[in-house]
Amino acid sequence: MFPGIYGFAWDAGHIIFLGIFYVVLMVVFATIAVAMRRAIRDSRTSRAEALRWHADFEDLPERWRRCRHELAGEIENRTCPNAFDCRHCVEHPLFVSARNGRPLPEGEPRVAGFEVPGDRLYHRGHTWVRPDPEGLLTVGLDDLGAHLLGSPDMIELPKVGSRVVANGTGWLAEKSGSTVRVLSPVDGEVVAVGAGDEGWYLKIRPDPAGSDMRHLLSPAEARPWMLREIERLQMAIATDAVGAALADGGVPVEDLSEAIPPERRDDVYGAVFLNV
Amino acid sequence: MDKGLIRRGIRRCSTGQFLAWLTPWVAMLGFGVLAIGLCLVKGLNQTNMDNRFAFGLWIFLDLTIIALGAGAFFTGFLLYILRREELRAVINSAVVIGFICYSGAILVLMVDVGQPLRAWFTFWHPNVHSMLTEVTFCITCYLTVLAIEYAPIMLKNRQLRKVPSFLVFEFELHKVMPVFAAVGTFLSFFHQGSLGGLYGVLHGRPFAYREGFAIWPSTFFLFILSAIATGPAFVLLTTWMVSKVARKELVRKNVYSLLAKISGWLLIVYVGFKSIDTLVWLNRTAPLSGVSPIRFYAWAPFDIWLLFVEIAGFGLLPALIFLSPARRRSVPWMIAGSLLACAGVATNRFVMTIQTLAVPTLKFEPFMLYYPSWQEVATFLFVVAYGVILYSLSFRYLTLFPQERDLQH
Repeated sequence: MFPGIYGFAWDAGHIIFLGIFYVVLMVVFATIAVAMRRAIRDSRTSRAEALRWHADFEDLPERWRRCRHELAGEIENRTCPNAFDCRHCVEHPLFVSARNGRPLPEGEPRVAGFEVPGDRLYHRGHTWVRPDPEGLLTVGLDDLGAHLLGSPDMIELPKVGSRVVANGTGWLAEKSGSTVRVLSPVDGEVVAVGAGDEGWYLKIRPDPAGSDMRHLLSPAEARPWMLREIERLQMAIATDAVGAALADGGVPVEDLSEAIPPERRDDVYGAVFLNV
Repeated sequence: MDKGLIRRGIRRCSTGQFLAWLTPWVAMLGFGVLAIGLCLVKGLNQTNMDNRFAFGLWIFLDLTIIALGAGAFFTGFLLYILRREELRAVINSAVVIGFICYSGAILVLMVDVGQPLRAWFTFWHPNVHSMLTEVTFCITCYLTVLAIEYAPIMLKNRQLRKVPSFLVFEFELHKVMPVFAAVGTFLSFFHQGSLGGLYGVLHGRPFAYREGFAIWPSTFFLFILSAIATGPAFVLLTTWMVSKVARKELVRKNVYSLLAKISGWLLIVYVGFKSIDTLVWLNRTAPLSGVSPIRFYAWAPFDIWLLFVEIAGFGLLPALIFLSPARRRSVPWMIAGSLLACAGVATNRFVMTIQTLAVPTLKFEPFMLYYPSWQEVATFLFVVAYGVILYSLSFRYLTLFPQERDLQH
């Protein structure tokens, strides 16, 4: 094994065989060391939230990773390659410029009984963002998200002064034993926290460079998306015996969670709030 | 009860049903522990091996599961090095199967050496001219690589991924996975080959001895080829079996088809080389040793039929099934082909291990048959139970088939 150990000799057989063995060991352990060093660096630079979202996104079923431009009818079939972050997408500007300045059809502000107001932008994790006149961003749950969580058993909001990142954890809610991680729609510093009954959860001061919100859906994009989300919800709720079924009238109940079979509730929350 | 550990959106049987499924396997594991205990405490007299039959059931099955476990390294090679992205659908399962195969084989070897407390001697005082030393070093290193490849799969468990440092480590490990895939390929290439070389260098046993290239007998290359040819077929077969037990689709049909196609092409190459090797051996190598090759097949039950079954029935036939586009559109045909291919590699390892020792070398030697003792069988059943339990736990709590959720509705 080593010089000085019984059986070792400085001959070609030992040098080649043990040399290759030690090189393999060095490659394995050096690679592990590199991965660990990078992991420590990532943890120190707060990349954990971004990496978590990327890992979660990769684990989402492909049919949930549809591009916003597919939902808006601008392309027939496209899986999002950028974890719903159009700020880094090279094709998003091409889709926008292909509209030639023509706005997308506005649609109705009420989609299958759920409100989609036109004064805010929407995140795919069912939160909305509304810029305030004083330069802050107000963040809340959209109507479908609010109906699904109803009155949560517990809410864990971030501390004032802490930082949130887009697609990272915005806040946590617990409902009927399930923990839901609501994704933050934007980057910035939390300056105030509210509660669901006030209609908003966070007030965020965007980074000094200004908040880039290209990844958020406009109301015109959010309306067809909401329709697709309701279909997705129906699929997630559907039992094997009945299959997917759409309501043919009425308005959504205040606390939709009560309508979900308890054994499916956790899966449904995961599906709607993009939690893996 | 354990729902918090199961990935969201994935349906698994109830905890009670799962425990009921595990119970017989745990009983089998316990039976194996008893047998292993007897072998370790009382010694190898608990087996039916002796100085003539020093390699028995354990080595035959070790070689077989190591060959079938080649699906792990070869799938990794195809995915991370050759970028066959379709295979991402089965890579996690292949890694777990590879880990089970190799760890199971090493476990049995620890019992087989008779003096497990001295197992470290082979590392500390290696005989670098021995094929077996190369095998020992390579499979130990490769098991380490498989454990590293298993780690990110485990770290993505629903509860473990909540720990931020685990998730970033998983992410960074995933980025360096091509390095491990390359190292795994290198190690597997050599230990699969050396396992074959082990027999090919046996000058004293003309049934196994083969000529070759440089220091490597032809069996070195044939073992590599047969392992990489059947590895994908075994991945295909296990995926289908899990899919049947779990009663759900786990991968898209094109993944089965691709695995079958890869296996088919490699099998046809293997059958070609194996046929040439057999002809050279029958007409040149064996006669040069002073033995009429027909003598090798003069003893029942290992007559000439075994040679034909191995090459034609379990080699050529599955290759033709896999290479036919029409057959590749049919899952039952692909499963039949996989079963034949896996039976082929098992037969080859059986022939090289058991038949080699059974066939007499000297004129005054008798033909000798060997039957394993119950302790040998139970030790192997331990590995089977260990594999089923570890795979069942992995399937329940980890993501072995990323497409499963997509195919659920």
